[in-house]
Amino acid sequence: MENLDLLMHGFGVAITPLHLLLMVAGVLLGLVVGVLPGLGAPNGVSLLIPLTFSLDPTAAIILLSSMYWGALFGGSTTSILFNIPGEPSSVATTFDGYPMARSGQSTRALTLAFMSAGIGALIGVIVITLLAGWASRFALRFGAPEYFAVYFLAFAAFIGMGSASATKTVVSLTAGLLLASVGMDNVTGEVRLTFGFSDLLGGISFLVVVIGLFGIGELLATVQEGLHFRGVSSRIDLRDMLRTIAELPRYWATTVRSGLVGIWMGITPGGPTAASFMSYGIARQASRKGAAFGTGRPEGIVAPETADHSAGTCAMLPMLALGVPSSATAAVMMGGLMIWGLTPGPMLFATKPDFVWGLIASMYVSNIVGVILVLLTVPMFAALLRVPFSIIGPMIVAICFVGGYTVSSATFDLWVVLVFGLVGYLLTRLDYPLAPLVLAMVLGHKAENAFFQSMVLSDGSLSVFFETALCSAIMAIGLALLVVPKLLQLVARLRHRGAVGQESH
Amino acid sequence: MTVRRFHAEAVTAIGTGALGVAGVVGAMQLGHGWSESGPESGYFPFYVGVILILASLWNLGTAFVAHRAALVREGQGEIEEPFLDGERLGRLARFGGTMIAFVILTLVMGIYVGAAAYIAWSAWRTGGYRLWVALAFGLGFSLALYVIFEIAFLVPLLKGPIEPLLGIY
Repeated sequence: MENLDLLMHGFGVAITPLHLLLMVAGVLLGLVVGVLPGLGAPNGVSLLIPLTFSLDPTAAIILLSSMYWGALFGGSTTSILFNIPGEPSSVATTFDGYPMARSGQSTRALTLAFMSAGIGALIGVIVITLLAGWASRFALRFGAPEYFAVYFLAFAAFIGMGSASATKTVVSLTAGLLLASVGMDNVTGEVRLTFGFSDLLGGISFLVVVIGLFGIGELLATVQEGLHFRGVSSRIDLRDMLRTIAELPRYWATTVRSGLVGIWMGITPGGPTAASFMSYGIARQASRKGAAFGTGRPEGIVAPETADHSAGTCAMLPMLALGVPSSATAAVMMGGLMIWGLTPGPMLFATKPDFVWGLIASMYVSNIVGVILVLLTVPMFAALLRVPFSIIGPMIVAICFVGGYTVSSATFDLWVVLVFGLVGYLLTRLDYPLAPLVLAMVLGHKAENAFFQSMVLSDGSLSVFFETALCSAIMAIGLALLVVPKLLQLVARLRHRGAVGQESH
Repeated sequence: MTVRRFHAEAVTAIGTGALGVAGVVGAMQLGHGWSESGPESGYFPFYVGVILILASLWNLGTAFVAHRAALVREGQGEIEEPFLDGERLGRLARFGGTMIAFVILTLVMGIYVGAAAYIAWSAWRTGGYRLWVALAFGLGFSLALYVIFEIAFLVPLLKGPIEPLLGIY
């Protein structure tokens, strides 16, 4: 019950007029970011970080995390009303959400989505509340080799469990690690990989890279398709809404299953996008009316939304307790923590309980605030998409460049945004995953430091990673995650080929 | 003009490989071995660069194999979908070109003038708004930037030669 006391203390920290105001502002900004193509949660949070320097860290993290929840809600809004996923994680919501809205039930579709999203988020926060204390105590036993093993595990999980080609994930990861090592090395103090360019001395900021990759890159992908929205009515009918809320308990099995999928994918580096697809697939298999999926089944909305949000919230647990974020947005937020002078990891729980438990408590409040706000303001935000792209597009571009500039007031960063915008477009079109690149840029220094310290401990022998039981266990899981999924695919493919070969004989 | 997927894959793989080479070369200048106090500062980037080069080569090889398979299917009358057809390429080039012009203008004249001109130009030329409406959009946006950043959050943005004349620093 120690956690419960701490949580109550957290509510005391979180519920102040300023914090409530920041939650509302964050959710509303997040909705804008989630609705607009080209602005998503990762770069929305990046754009906001320079503006939080004048806030205290608790207020700042409440603003940023509320924005994340808002962006998740906003992404589902456009999926349902326009068949355009505002966020990658809401792609699966379009499958049944848009058909239901087109058949004249847009209120039902939106209410189902927002309510199950809210429930998913609450499931996630409850898991965090229960596990946070345990996870941080567990992590206190970690030394440098264990930390390196955990980073290795995170990287390996991306490579093995990601849906993209393994070598493309490796390219994305290692490119991120290399970019992170540009500039002053914080162990030896040497200047690295600047090739004489003084602009590179301070390193390449991951915030600027994220703004380019996710902002400009996604916008270019939108431009290439030549946007034309075919929206459906976005009016919310109060009676329909209440009727839909009353029908929710019928989908309890889907909700529980999807919540569990979300928790698993949120704590391991699967991320919300993978969680929503997986949960949609499971709901489809479990349903007796499986064939009707894709025509506006309520379970087809409940499943991806619940999983998306419970994964999104659960991603905060490894970020806070271990300092290993499991989604791109969590990685950006962790970068923000480090800029504010906080070190994510188990010590954070011991040294800054106000911050940690304030954040966890705020997640309960801001998700409830989010559900209410989004139901009230949906028509307004849906109207944003009716603004012609020739106006909103350049405005998004200008905001991205302004955001890139404010990170460190350097004109060089404008070029970084531009170059990474083009790179982001190319990489997305070619199915390179971008999240590992961001993760590697944020974790690069920490991973290298952990490696360096382990090497100093062991006089340069790699066996240090297999000396303690804990460390070898983590390394073994990492190696297994790296190899096993791809091996299984290979076996399945060989077996399939064998079966086809026998048939043709 | 159309761009084939193979060309895009190959250019990207060569690009990421080049980044790896740059990392390895830079690390070799620093020293990538062991000193008495542990690994030298080039050690980590060196091996990361090597892995990046190997993965890029693998991607390049995969692209070649896929390309040859696509050519074979093309011989059988099946046309591969292009990575970018002429129409999309044109749209991208126009949007990207204006964006680059915006960045250059911003570097010379500051963000306020750059953003106002960029938004007004896009609204006028691609949006088909009348010139004075377009200018109002641009100036309105810059004014909003000024209020949000300089006044509300006290974050100074990049200024050019015009702002001091208006008494804004």
